[in-house]
Amino acid sequence: MIAPGGQQAETDTHALIEMRVAASAAHISAVRVVAADLAARQDFDLDAVSDLRMAVDEACATLVPLAAAGTMLSCRFLVGAGRIEVQASVSVAERTTVPQNTFGWRVLTTLTDEAFATSDRHSIGITLCVRRERTEG
Amino acid sequence: MTSQDSGYEHLAPLFKEFASLPEDHPRRQQLRDELVTGYLPVALHIARRFAHRGEPQEDLEQVATVGLINAVDRFEPDRGSDFLSYAVPTITGEVRRHFRDQAWSMRVPRRLKDLHVAIGAAVSELSQNLGRAPRPSEIAARLQCSTEDVLEGIEASAAYRSTSLDEVLTGDDSSGHTAADALGQADQALDQVEYRESVRPLLESLPERERTILLLRFFGNLTQTQIAQQVGISQMHVSRLLAQTLAALRDNLAD
Repeated sequence: MIAPGGQQAETDTHALIEMRVAASAAHISAVRVVAADLAARQDFDLDAVSDLRMAVDEACATLVPLAAAGTMLSCRFLVGAGRIEVQASVSVAERTTVPQNTFGWRVLTTLTDEAFATSDRHSIGITLCVRRERTEG
Repeated sequence: MTSQDSGYEHLAPLFKEFASLPEDHPRRQQLRDELVTGYLPVALHIARRFAHRGEPQEDLEQVATVGLINAVDRFEPDRGSDFLSYAVPTITGEVRRHFRDQAWSMRVPRRLKDLHVAIGAAVSELSQNLGRAPRPSEIAARLQCSTEDVLEGIEASAAYRSTSLDEVLTGDDSSGHTAADALGQADQALDQVEYRESVRPLLESLPERERTILLLRFFGNLTQTQIAQQVGISQMHVSRLLAQTLAALRDNLAD
């Protein structure tokens, strides 16, 4: 990756982009913009770019209200080989889970190829995966 | 449309008279009104060609009419050319300028505004041909510019004024689909959702078009491009409306 003139290789290698913002609704737009930019640069079609932007928005908006006060929203983007995986997570004050019997969860699963919730004692998260070539047209 | 030339022949003598009268002649105003009214269908036709690009139809018609008035004022029948061949580019130019200059809520460099218009046109053309939304690389190939330019142009589109929610829905006569038709179809899918009871009241509180778009996307499983074609607005507009609607629903659900 440090090789001179090696920019071309970027598309084929996995890249990790990680960002952390205060877990507040006001900062979700920054995450959204990053997600859309990464998708457009992976040459996702415009529907897919817009779908990912909305999915990330939805995932973050689901997590932020559950975050412990004064903590951060962490978003990791794994980009490569025609797919983008987004891992969003927040710290929680007490053990809880991501609600999945909601309209928001339906939005997430419709907009992505894969969506699942994670949780442990101290945090909850949502992982999304979108592929450039979507299986269901 | 084939009758465009023959339909306006009766107006040609008026131009001769209009041009022959001195600037301050009282009959000029009357002739000018008659000419503008007579050629109005041309302006409206041009305005319709620019529909579905996120600008209210009334605004486009007004701008096209301004273009027509300018064309009537500036046309010189002695030059020998036909009025329509002068008026059409004049009106079209006026509408294009409107898109470029007036429809931006944020200051955006002129180059990007032109690119935005070009991208918008390429997106709708490519969507038709491909049957799905185009990729940035495909738009770049079509416009013969770099993908980087397209990405920049798409970003600039975000500064384009987000259209008001009560913007009139145009073009349903030509598509043959009304928003209500689409709704019936998606509603069946909604019935299969177990938590429909909690969602339904919220959906019912939405304006009809927003509800239709939401149902088609999340219960009818159509892509944004397919919805754009069905509802008669651009994909970018569908994208904005969906994002706005989801945000509004979240706010309501949080209460």
